[in-house]
Amino acid sequence: MRWWHLLAKDLLQMAKDWKSAIFLLAMPLAFTLFFGFVTGGDFREAALRIGWLDRDFRTREPVTGAALRDLVASAPGVQLVELADREEAAAQVRGGKLAAAAVVPEGFAEAAWTEQPLPLAIIATSYEPDDRVASDRLRSAATRLLGSVRGARLALGPAGAADRAVREHALGRALAEWQRPRVSLASETYLPAGRITGFQQSSPGMIVQFAIYGLISSAMILVLERKSRAMQRLLTTSASRASIIAGHLGAMFLVIWVQEAALVACGQLAFGVNYLGAPGATLLMMSALALWSASLGLLVASLARNEQQVVMYSMIAMFLFSALGGAWFPLDVAGGGFARVGRLTPGAWAMDAFRGILLRGHDLAAVLAPVGLLAACAAAFFGLALWRFRFE
Amino acid sequence: MVAGMNSLETAIRVENLVKDFGPRRALDGVSFTMHEGEIFSLLGPNGAGKSTTISIIAGLLRPGSGQVRVFGRPAGTPAVKAAVGVVPQEVALYPDLSAQENLLFWGRMYGLSGRRLAERAAQVLELIGLTDRRADRIASFSGGMKRRVNLGVALLHEPRLLILDEPTVGIDPQSRRHILDSILGLNARGMSVLYTTHYMEEAQELSHRLCILDHGRLIASGTHAELVRIVGELDRVELTLQGETAGVPDSWRALPGVRAADAENGRISLLADDGDVLLPRLFEEAAREGLHIASVQIREPNLEAVFMKLTGRGLRD
Repeated sequence: MRWWHLLAKDLLQMAKDWKSAIFLLAMPLAFTLFFGFVTGGDFREAALRIGWLDRDFRTREPVTGAALRDLVASAPGVQLVELADREEAAAQVRGGKLAAAAVVPEGFAEAAWTEQPLPLAIIATSYEPDDRVASDRLRSAATRLLGSVRGARLALGPAGAADRAVREHALGRALAEWQRPRVSLASETYLPAGRITGFQQSSPGMIVQFAIYGLISSAMILVLERKSRAMQRLLTTSASRASIIAGHLGAMFLVIWVQEAALVACGQLAFGVNYLGAPGATLLMMSALALWSASLGLLVASLARNEQQVVMYSMIAMFLFSALGGAWFPLDVAGGGFARVGRLTPGAWAMDAFRGILLRGHDLAAVLAPVGLLAACAAAFFGLALWRFRFE
Repeated sequence: MVAGMNSLETAIRVENLVKDFGPRRALDGVSFTMHEGEIFSLLGPNGAGKSTTISIIAGLLRPGSGQVRVFGRPAGTPAVKAAVGVVPQEVALYPDLSAQENLLFWGRMYGLSGRRLAERAAQVLELIGLTDRRADRIASFSGGMKRRVNLGVALLHEPRLLILDEPTVGIDPQSRRHILDSILGLNARGMSVLYTTHYMEEAQELSHRLCILDHGRLIASGTHAELVRIVGELDRVELTLQGETAGVPDSWRALPGVRAADAENGRISLLADDGDVLLPRLFEEAAREGLHIASVQIREPNLEAVFMKLTGRGLRD
């Protein structure tokens, strides 16, 4: 049981260092908040502000003009903002105050009833997702109006279309038909318990990232022990080499596991992230991640010759595994090559498992594969660490 | 030299020890026997092989060849570890833990627990004179206090044999005196002590017997009196020169009656058949070479003289 005393000693050393608490808890919580808000904080859709500049307000087809406006205004999430001129529209789109702006050209409504309708001018950027959605809403409204006008014209024939009242009635019928589509889709969407927020990404992301970063404190203890020759002195006691390694590895595992537990609790209670939807799967993933990270810590402590090297190796590991593994942003939004390489890293396996638990309701059985991969990777790191471990 | 040795049981038997570090031979056929109950010193300059020898005895290193038996058992076995306390040259403690926390941890590693552990930690704190500082972090201690805790850790499990590797390097005179007195006290209560140092005064004061190592070889061993007898009736002449001392002038080494000469820290030491006869010749040579002798002393032969006689040079720090 010598390993147990060594483990307790490592924990005591860490408990005496208040800076450890900052690295282990305060920083991951701050980063969870930061990345949570960066990635949306709350995924409830904000209103799409679309500018509306109507140069056809004197039209002799007011019903047709009004129909276009109504179609845009009734699109999901759209808030229309009346504008006075085109320059103002362009400036507000460029400044991000509007997702897009529509300019209804003079004669638009009358031309809609001819063979040569006028185009609806849309002002939008091509790189902002909201702008693309707003443009789609405008195109969709214009297409629906022109389709309805064409339908009415075909139904009335040239004679019937000559009467404005009849035209307007037919247009109303045609537009109403859009509300009753002949083809419908039945879809079933899984919705996780609680709201879907940016914290569903940032909370597990920071657990993965700081599980790696958190090993700095424990690896440092091991390196300083070697430097002060206390490790060599341990060999003059009845402690075996195996128990010395087991004690340090155990301390690393325990510290990282407790850190994960605290972050999971904060995620559950403060950020509305539902880890307890599958408590067994969450516990197993926490343990696998802690084991992998502790093995990485032992490897770092085996390779590092001084404190600076501990920090350097840990930082390299953290940036490599957390960024590539999708801890900062989902790999789905990353480029193809980046995502393909990232999915080969342990960080990605952990992130996929956590996101599966949080967003897809995965249970214990579903996380066995990533747990196995992490455990295999931990075994590989542990083997490398033993190979390179120095007692002197 | 101390009194108190009263047993001739063998504590350590070292036979023909050889150890290489790459191309460098650190130990070259070292053999000696240490009896139970004695203070036995390994004396020699830095790099002589003292630390390598005790690392092998403590089970930290394996010899290239030769063998070491401690209380009749091979070095490094669990039974030997339980009977031996090692005080390393470095302060091998946890600086962010208190003195008491360090002692409790190391006591557990030596297999102590419960009330016995608490009692031993308290007794050791008393012995090293740090009871009132027991709750303070090691990092806040002076070098001497750290060395005392370093010694105390090795005493927790009441070993039969205490091995100390230069335990007084770089500490204040009070702490040094405290450590030396502690060692004498422990030996008086029956503990065997293997002590390495390059301070000949310490070896002379503490040891029942000692051996001198140089370049990995044992060049002499015995009691202080036996070793000094090697020097015979030679006188040791020590003098200092005004200004920089570049070394011993070649003409001085060639003077009749000079057996060995060495310069160290501005001090020139000569071993001579008769100091009184040599002195006038030294002054003549100094005047001829434009050197001014600031001070001269003729001393009794000591361990340094033995080392000079055997190696032709001084025992450097």
